[in-house]
Amino acid sequence: MKNECTTEARDGLHLVKVAGEVDLSWSQSIRKAVLDALGRAPAVGVDLSAVTYIDSSGIAALVEGFQSARGKGQKFALVAASPQVRAVLQLARLDRVFPMVDTAEAVTS
Amino acid sequence: MALDAILKPINRLGRGTASALAELGYAGAILVESVYFALVGWRHGQPVRPAAIVEQMRQVGIDAIPIVLLLSFTVGLMLGIQFVSAFSEFNAESQVVMAVAKSVTREFGALITGILVAGRSGSAFAARIGSMNVSQEVDALYVIGIEPVRYLAAPALVAMLVMLPTLTVLANTAAIVGAALYCAPVLEVSPVVYIIQTLHALEMRDIWEGLSKSVVFAVIITLVGISTGFGVTGGAEGVGRATTRAVVLSITLLVVADMVFSFFLNR
Amino acid sequence: MDAEPVIDVQRLNVWFGKRHILHDVDFRVMPGEIRVIMGGSGSGKSTLLRHLLGLLKPRSGSVRILGTDIAAASSAEVLRLRRQMGVSFQGGALFTSMTVGENVALPLREHTDLDENTVRIMSRLKLEVVNLGGFQDLMPSQLSGGMVKRAALARAIVMDPKLLFFDEPSAGLDPVVSAELDELILQLRDAMRMSIIVVTHELESAFKIADTITVLDRGHILMTGPVAAVRASDNERIQDLLNRRPRKVEVDTDEYLRRLTEAEVD
Repeated sequence: MKNECTTEARDGLHLVKVAGEVDLSWSQSIRKAVLDALGRAPAVGVDLSAVTYIDSSGIAALVEGFQSARGKGQKFALVAASPQVRAVLQLARLDRVFPMVDTAEAVTS
Repeated sequence: MALDAILKPINRLGRGTASALAELGYAGAILVESVYFALVGWRHGQPVRPAAIVEQMRQVGIDAIPIVLLLSFTVGLMLGIQFVSAFSEFNAESQVVMAVAKSVTREFGALITGILVAGRSGSAFAARIGSMNVSQEVDALYVIGIEPVRYLAAPALVAMLVMLPTLTVLANTAAIVGAALYCAPVLEVSPVVYIIQTLHALEMRDIWEGLSKSVVFAVIITLVGISTGFGVTGGAEGVGRATTRAVVLSITLLVVADMVFSFFLNR
Repeated sequence: MDAEPVIDVQRLNVWFGKRHILHDVDFRVMPGEIRVIMGGSGSGKSTLLRHLLGLLKPRSGSVRILGTDIAAASSAEVLRLRRQMGVSFQGGALFTSMTVGENVALPLREHTDLDENTVRIMSRLKLEVVNLGGFQDLMPSQLSGGMVKRAALARAIVMDPKLLFFDEPSAGLDPVVSAELDELILQLRDAMRMSIIVVTHELESAFKIADTITVLDRGHILMTGPVAAVRASDNERIQDLLNRRPRKVEVDTDEYLRRLTEAEVD
């Protein structure tokens, strides 16, 4: 699978779609995409359904996004995280910290 | 058995020479690598951090300033006393200014500073690196991908090369002020005039002689301390032995190097 | 999946002076494998580990790590390799002049140009992973033995290495902490896809985490195999190790007398 990070604007929501293997080599661009989306929309979902591996620099990007969203009272959620992503989140018990939803629509509800 | 009595000392001498040579080679390698990392390490992902150099400069240099000033002031005073009493036997007190100025700048400023820093920092290098070696911290640096020489030796060497000459200049000043306080009344001039006379008596090469010695001393102290530290085996006791050895060896080499220098520079 | 071994040691022989420490050691670890190296003291397991870490270079035989021959690699290649390896030393080997947080962040600061925010989050994340969340500002000297070990593990995994080495994880730890560490090793493999090499003499921990076990004895590999096979082995030395039996020392009269009477050589 190709490594890719795209942002889709929906009504009242930006959805950052990540795919492939997230590692040090390009996790900074995900960080930027997430922070940019938070600058433009009141709610941001990060779709992780197509992520086959994520390292801690990728997780750090998500943490930073979540922290910034909470500070400004924005909505932030991880959407349809793949089992591989969940396993990494569980290592640091982050699965109990991040809002995790199954569909993009659920981010705003 | 008789043959044995002859062969044993020869054997021991041979081994001693071999290990001394090996140690010299090791220290040389540290010197070359430190210079290499300091100059081009950043190009190979092994930069020598300015922050580490500044921290070392504080430890070996800034922190040593009070004791260097105190000690060299005292030595200057002492030289003043001795020269005045020696020269007055030939009614040559007027030569005291010249004698103090030259012996301080060419010899004692650098030597006192060197011995002091060897005791303070040479031992600290050996103790720090020795205990890091014993607790596998040096191994940990290697496996993290940090060359221990780049991380531990290069900043210390750069800091010493800057700070030892600087301390030597301070020591020269303090010693001459010390001598002025004793000698000026004896010579019936004011201390300020004494110091002006000193400045007239001094040539550039006097200052350079002391400073070039201090550069060599800096290299000796750093390399002896660090190579002794890297060679530590045998736990806490080994660290203690290494610390002692680093001080004794570096002061010995310092004095010998000083003598050699003085010999060649004053022919 | 690539089936290239992450570690490939062939016919490694090591001498220290006249002592033959490792005899013709072949050692291969596949990706995602948890390998335990077992053996008593003096078995050569530390020497083998030092070769795997590249702290010693092989004089005879070859050591390939992640496809790179350690003996022939350039310093740039070795550096690239080191970024993909994490090591947790027996005594922790934390840098005593730095805080726990600075220790864990050091590899990131040295090898990446990540944003300082990211570095902070990543290193604290690893402290959370090892259950040391919030301890980043303490100095190593303020930690207990078990905490030092966990902090060292956090530093070892901060770069998300492909290969993790763990020297005696449970030595000197209480049973609960040591069981937690075992659990963590399994999770790291599953979630982060690490290949993990553990050197230990603790049987219980070895049987719990290992996919395969290599048994070393006096410099020889007695066997390498899955846990069940090692347990079922009829090799006497392996059974001695498993059942904590004192080994039978063979006595060679000539050799024994020579050791007692030989004049000292200095």
